[in-house]
Amino acid sequence: MLRLHWQVFLFLVMFLPGQCRAAAGLEVLPEFLRPDPFGGIVAPDRSGADLRSSLYDARHRVALTGARGGYVSFHLLVKSPAPGPYTLEVAIIDPAHQVQTDLFREWFHFTESDQRYYPDALIPVRTPYSSRLPAPDNQIPQQTVQAFWVDVYIPADAKPGTLFGKAKLQTGAKAVVLPLQLVILESLIPAEDVVTVDHNSYGSSWLAGQFGDSYRRDPSRWFESDQFFGLIHAYHRIFYEHRGIFHQLGYGHSGKVGPEFAPVLTGSGRGKHIVNWDLFDRHYGPLFDGRAFSGTRRGPRPIPFVYLPINPEWPASYEFWGEPGYEAEFVNVVSEMERHFREEGWTHTNLEVFFNHKKRYMGFPWDGDEVRFPKDLNYFLEYGRLLRKALPPDSPVHFVFRADVSWDMEQQFKLLKGIVNVWCCGGGILSFYKDAPKILRERGDIVWYYGGPPSVTETSSAITELPFRAWLWGVNGFVHWLTVSPGEDPWFHFDGGGTALVYPGERFGLTEPIPSVRLKIQRNCLQDLAMIDSFKARRPLDSLRREVARGYNNSAPDDWWNPRPALADVPSDQWLSSAIDEATQHTEKVLKHPDASAWYNVQQYALKLAREAK
Amino acid sequence: MKIVYRVVLSFALAAAGNAQVHAQAAEPMQKELDDIARVGSVMVDGDVCQRVVTPRALQYMFATDPRDPWIAGDNYDVDDASFNAVKKTLTRLSHLATFPVDVNLWMPIEGHPDKIHIVVRNKNEMSQFWTWGALYQDMFPPMETVLKTGKRLTVTSKPGWISVLAPIYNSLGDIVGLIEAVSRVQTDAHENVK
Repeated sequence: MLRLHWQVFLFLVMFLPGQCRAAAGLEVLPEFLRPDPFGGIVAPDRSGADLRSSLYDARHRVALTGARGGYVSFHLLVKSPAPGPYTLEVAIIDPAHQVQTDLFREWFHFTESDQRYYPDALIPVRTPYSSRLPAPDNQIPQQTVQAFWVDVYIPADAKPGTLFGKAKLQTGAKAVVLPLQLVILESLIPAEDVVTVDHNSYGSSWLAGQFGDSYRRDPSRWFESDQFFGLIHAYHRIFYEHRGIFHQLGYGHSGKVGPEFAPVLTGSGRGKHIVNWDLFDRHYGPLFDGRAFSGTRRGPRPIPFVYLPINPEWPASYEFWGEPGYEAEFVNVVSEMERHFREEGWTHTNLEVFFNHKKRYMGFPWDGDEVRFPKDLNYFLEYGRLLRKALPPDSPVHFVFRADVSWDMEQQFKLLKGIVNVWCCGGGILSFYKDAPKILRERGDIVWYYGGPPSVTETSSAITELPFRAWLWGVNGFVHWLTVSPGEDPWFHFDGGGTALVYPGERFGLTEPIPSVRLKIQRNCLQDLAMIDSFKARRPLDSLRREVARGYNNSAPDDWWNPRPALADVPSDQWLSSAIDEATQHTEKVLKHPDASAWYNVQQYALKLAREAK
Repeated sequence: MKIVYRVVLSFALAAAGNAQVHAQAAEPMQKELDDIARVGSVMVDGDVCQRVVTPRALQYMFATDPRDPWIAGDNYDVDDASFNAVKKTLTRLSHLATFPVDVNLWMPIEGHPDKIHIVVRNKNEMSQFWTWGALYQDMFPPMETVLKTGKRLTVTSKPGWISVLAPIYNSLGDIVGLIEAVSRVQTDAHENVK
C-alpha cells in the first residue's frame, strides 16, 4: 500500500503541470512550442514536446545563444492557478546598452474550426508589465497561463561574450526569479536575405475597416490624411523589420485605380498626360527613398519592389486597344513616369508592370494572372513592345515586367524570354521543372513562388517550409498571396489566420499593425537561412542544403522536386487540375510534414556552423 | 432620455436629409442613364455579343468536380475580338454621362432559362446585380421582364444605386441579351480596388 502511494506521488510530481505544484511561477518555452492558456502546449506542436526544457541549462538557468545582427526568441509563461494580479519584468543586462529586449503579450485566439485557443497576435508591452490572470480583455474562463513572446535583439556591432539577466514575476508579496544567460557569438547574420519573402495585399480600403476609429474621425478626408499614409508606411515597416517586404496592388480586376496608387491623368489620345503626382508621391516617396524606414533597426533603405498601377485600363484607355491612341497614351504616360522617377532619384526599386486580372471576372478578354490559354500571351508580347518604346534603354530607373504563372509556365519561360523578367510561379507546377530556376536566374531573371500563410492550427514549423523550400529550390523568394486580412473577428472567432500574418493594433490603443508568432518564427527562419547560406564559401552549397533538409524532415533536396510529368507535353489549356494533383504526388508521398522541432534542428545546425566559424 | 431623444431625432433628420439629397441627385442621373440605355439598345451589336463567350466556356459553366472546385472558372474563355468590340462600344456609351457610369452586358444562357450571366464589365465594376466572382446567377425578375418584353426598365432596389436595363438585338431581330447602365449617387474611389 505504502509502495503504491509512493508511485502515485512520483507520478504526480513528474507529470502534473507546473501550476498544480506551485502557487505562481515562470516557465520558458522554445519558440516552436506554442503554449495554450491552461499550461499545455497547443496540439499541433506537441510533436516537439521533448524540446520543452531545451532552453534550460543544468542549473535551471535559461541559456540563450545567438549570432550578432539578429534575434533570439522564446515564450515566457506566467503561470498562476489562482486568479489575481501580477507584475512581470524581463531584462538582459548589457553594460554597453546594445542588446535590447522586446516583450509582447500573446493573444489567445479562439479558433472556430477546432474550438481551441492558439497564441498568435503579439501586443507590444513595456517591462515591467502589470496585469492579472485571467487576462481581462482576452476573456478566457479558467485561464491560468499568460504567455509572452520575448525577442532579444543582438545588434551587428554587439560585443561577443556572455550577458546575464533575469525574468521576475511578482504576485502579491511573493517573487519568483528566473535567471537568463545570453551567449553572443562572434558570427554575424548577413543583413541581406537569401530568400525574399513578400507579404501581398490588395488595395487599401481594408485599412479603413481595420482602423475604424481613426477612419471615423474624418471619413471624407481620411484616405488623403497623414494618418492614412503613415499607416501604409507602418505596414511596410513591420514586414521590413521582420526581414520581409510588402506589396499593395493598387487596381481592380477591371482596371479601376486607387487614387493613392497612381498619378492623376488628363486628356485623351496623344493629349493624355500626368497632371498631378501629389498623392502618389506622398504614398511612395518615403518608400522609394527609404525615409519611411528611419528609426528601424535595419536602417533606412528604399523598398526593393513595388507594383505599378499599369493595367490594361491604365494609363491607356482600353477602348483604344489595338489602335494608335492606345500606344500614344501608354507610351507618353509611362515615359513621363520614368522621367519623374529619374528626376526624383528613385532608382533603387524594381517597379513592376504586372497584370493581375482574369477573364473570368469579365473585365478583359485575356488572363493577366496565371495564363492558361496560350493565345493570351500575345497581349504580353504587345505590352513588351510598348514598354520598350516608352523606356529609354539606358534608364537608371528599374522597370521590370512581372508575370504570375502556373499552367503554362514552361512555355512562357521560353516565349517571353527577354520580355518578362520577374516570375512568380505556382509552387506545385514549378516542382516539375527542376532546371528552371537555374536557367532563369542565369539569364538575369528573378524567380519567386507563391502560396499562403499556414493557419495557426498547423504546426509552428509550417511557416518555415515556405522560405526553406525557396532556398532549397534555388529561387529568389516566396510570396504570401494575402497577409493583412485576419477576418471579421480574429480575437474571439478566429478563422485561423490563413490570410494574415499581422493584426490591426487599434484594439490595444496602437495606431499601427502588430506582429504575430508566425511572423516572428518566419523572421528567425530567414535569419537562419541567411547565416547558413553565408557559409557556402567554406562548404559547398549542395552540402549545406543536404544537411538542412535532413535536419528539417529527414529528406534529401531531390525529394522536394517532382518528375516532369507527361502532362507537361500537352498544351496547358487541355490540362485538368486533378491531373496536376496527381503529378505532384511524389513530393506528397516522400516529404514528411515538418513537426514542431523541424526548424529547431535547423537552428541548432546554424548555431553549430556559427560556433565552428569562430 | 432627453439626450437619447435628441440623438435619435438628429439621426432621423440627417437620414431624411440624405434621402432627399439622394432623390434630388438621382432624378437627373436616372434621365442620363435612361438615355444611355436607349442609345445602347440600338448601338450594341447582338450578333457580336453572341460570339463573345466560347462554346468551351459554356460547356464547363455548370460543371462540378469534387476534385477540382475551379473547373468552371479555369475553363472560362472568350473570343477576344468580339469581347473587345463589345467592350469598346459599352465604354463609349458610358462617356455619354456627366458622372461615372458602367455599362455591363448580361446574357441568358441557352438551355438554362432560369439563369443569366454577366459577360462584359467595365472600369468601375459597378452593378446592382452581380455577385463578385459568379460565372452565372439566377435570373433576376427585372432582367427577365426586359428579355421578354423588350422594354427598358429602371431598377433602384439598392439605396443610392440606379440601373437602367435595356434589351439588345441581333440581326434576326431577336432579343439576345441586355445592358445595365449603372451608377451610384455617391461613388467611392476605393471601392473595388482589390
